[in-house]
Amino acid sequence: MSPRGPVMLVARREFGTRMVTRSNIISMAVMVVVILAAGVVGKLLLADDAPPQAMRLAVAPATSEISAHLAVPGTPDGGGIAVEELDEAAARAALQDDDADPRLKAWITGDAVAPTVVFEQDPDPAVVALVEQAARDVATSRAVTELGGDPAVVHAAVAAVTVSVDQVVEPEGELDGGQWAVAVTIISLLLFALIGSGSMIAMGVVEEKTSRVVELLLSTIRPGQLLAGKILGIGAYGLFQMAVLGGALVGVVSALGLFPDLDVDLGAAFVLMIVWFLLGFGVFALLFGGFAALVSRQEDIGSVTTPLMFALFVPYYATLFLVPFQPDSTLVTVLSQIPLFSPFLMPTRAAAGVLDPWEMPLALALTAATIPLLVWVSARVYRRAVLHTGGRMKLTEALRVTNG
Amino acid sequence: MPALEIDRLSKSYGAVHALRDLSFDVHAGEIFGFVGSNGAGKTTAMRIMLGVLAADAGEVRWDGSPLDLESRRTVGYMPEERGLYPKMKVADQLTFFAELHGMSKADASAAVERWTDRLGVGGRRGDAVEKLSLGNQQRVQLAAALVHDPLLLVLDEPFSGLDPVAVDVMSDVLRERAAAGVPVIFSSHQLDLVERLCDRVGIVRAGSMVATGTIDELRATGEAPWLLAWSERTDADAVRAALAAVDGVTTTAVPGRPDAVHVLVSRAGAEQAALRAALAVGDVTQFAPDLPSLADLFRDVVSEEAVAPAEGSAA
Repeated sequence: MSPRGPVMLVARREFGTRMVTRSNIISMAVMVVVILAAGVVGKLLLADDAPPQAMRLAVAPATSEISAHLAVPGTPDGGGIAVEELDEAAARAALQDDDADPRLKAWITGDAVAPTVVFEQDPDPAVVALVEQAARDVATSRAVTELGGDPAVVHAAVAAVTVSVDQVVEPEGELDGGQWAVAVTIISLLLFALIGSGSMIAMGVVEEKTSRVVELLLSTIRPGQLLAGKILGIGAYGLFQMAVLGGALVGVVSALGLFPDLDVDLGAAFVLMIVWFLLGFGVFALLFGGFAALVSRQEDIGSVTTPLMFALFVPYYATLFLVPFQPDSTLVTVLSQIPLFSPFLMPTRAAAGVLDPWEMPLALALTAATIPLLVWVSARVYRRAVLHTGGRMKLTEALRVTNG
Repeated sequence: MPALEIDRLSKSYGAVHALRDLSFDVHAGEIFGFVGSNGAGKTTAMRIMLGVLAADAGEVRWDGSPLDLESRRTVGYMPEERGLYPKMKVADQLTFFAELHGMSKADASAAVERWTDRLGVGGRRGDAVEKLSLGNQQRVQLAAALVHDPLLLVLDEPFSGLDPVAVDVMSDVLRERAAAGVPVIFSSHQLDLVERLCDRVGIVRAGSMVATGTIDELRATGEAPWLLAWSERTDADAVRAALAAVDGVTTTAVPGRPDAVHVLVSRAGAEQAALRAALAVGDVTQFAPDLPSLADLFRDVVSEEAVAPAEGSAA
């Protein structure tokens, strides 16, 4: 049999025994349903946030000259302004009409260059400012006409004014809400998948030790083949979970058109998440597999996986707290290149679009380069510890250079 | 040429010498019984044969070349520490092991069906191993050792925990494999079984082989006494007195047999004189050489160990 044969057999067993269980199929189905339901509920809630309506203003017939100047773009809520002509009685009634939609905001009366703005109750300073600007425009038009000029030319010149902004000190980039939401979702899924598959590997290794089946296995295949098969099989399962859940998430968001303003390429974010899952899995799975071989009983697993959980949570929280406020600070840039941190920091910063072109390839290469080193260490620890029974074996003991 | 050669294996765990220069051969088609008290090194030796443990020194050869990973695929192994995946179904599990040993999927399925039927667990193929009784788990364990048609069988305590029916099935299987030319090594504390099944036996003490040979060869070491028994009507004291008077004969009591004595002879033909003397005073119901059972031989070895503890801790 080719040397790849046993590895693939072990991998197939690991994948099969996890996939084809009722509990797995049910829990995956439930999670997908929850994501779909959350998407639909989210869509309904977001739909309540209807596009802003035009602000309704009324003008007395005597003041109608101001109307043309009120219809400026860029009102406070972006909905534009609808101007109509009403006499005093009709305007007073409309201002108090509870059923009207949209309700009349204000009635403008008096001289067009010295208007009175009538509100139902509380004056809105934004509206007052708007009317004031319109009255100034009326005054300007009148003066220009009196001087024999064309008010349209003056207004066009005024409208053409632009103001640029520059800063001496460059501000630090920050993530907007949408990018932040995508980033948190990605790294949370990543954390979930890495903890899930890491624990599965640890439990699988210890299960084989506890049930002693490992002795039968090792009479046929090498320890390295057993560990490799286990990691491949569980990795494939983790990848499948990640693809189904992440895919459902991306699918729901795009299909329902949630977050139309999102400044993130979801497809690219999904691909990055998968790539970093694979690399992160390569790093953490090997650590989990090697460390778990040190113990012989399920109840001792915690003593070896706790440090690894820390190694997962520290980068996760570092990403959560550092990236939103300083996605391109020196600290974050340096941490991004450290293999245990890269799987969390890089996809988040990529979603924020703050990466220099060299950063992603370097981080990918560094993490990928760590994996063969970990393969060597883990296989060594695993080989020495997997047949050791009884209490916990010390890591130093497992690494010591002797045959056996 | 022996099919399997165990050549001067040594293994220490820290200060404990589990094996010291352990050597023996097993020939094709031979059932070899591996006996010794607990901790004598049987399991360590078997683990080394299967490559699960590395020896400090020595070599295991199969058809003249070292038993490597590739040839170990053709070995059927039943570890002392029984082990199967508890939550995996019997058939899936056995198919997995058969494939690991290099069988194709189709051959594996057919072999699983054949062996589970043969071992009486055919009805449980779809059940998780943990749902089976310990005895049935044991049968599945045996199926795992046999399912890939091994060319060598190494079984550590294969009979422990089996009911009499399973013991018979198991014995038949071992005989049948041996008849097909497969060398079979098994360890056991059930010495009557070893005596009945094995072509040759090896007794291990403190990591060394102290005796190997057929049961008859082992028995032939030392003079066997004659057992002489008499009827109820016979006066026991008269028989003993008559025997004591024969030249070249001494008698010893037989534990648990007030109606018999062991007759030890120190000159040729003295046993005939002893028989005639006994017949002269009573009815003799039994007179035959009393060959030691394997259990007796084993006990002798163990008691030697007890009187010579210094040897065990030396070297």
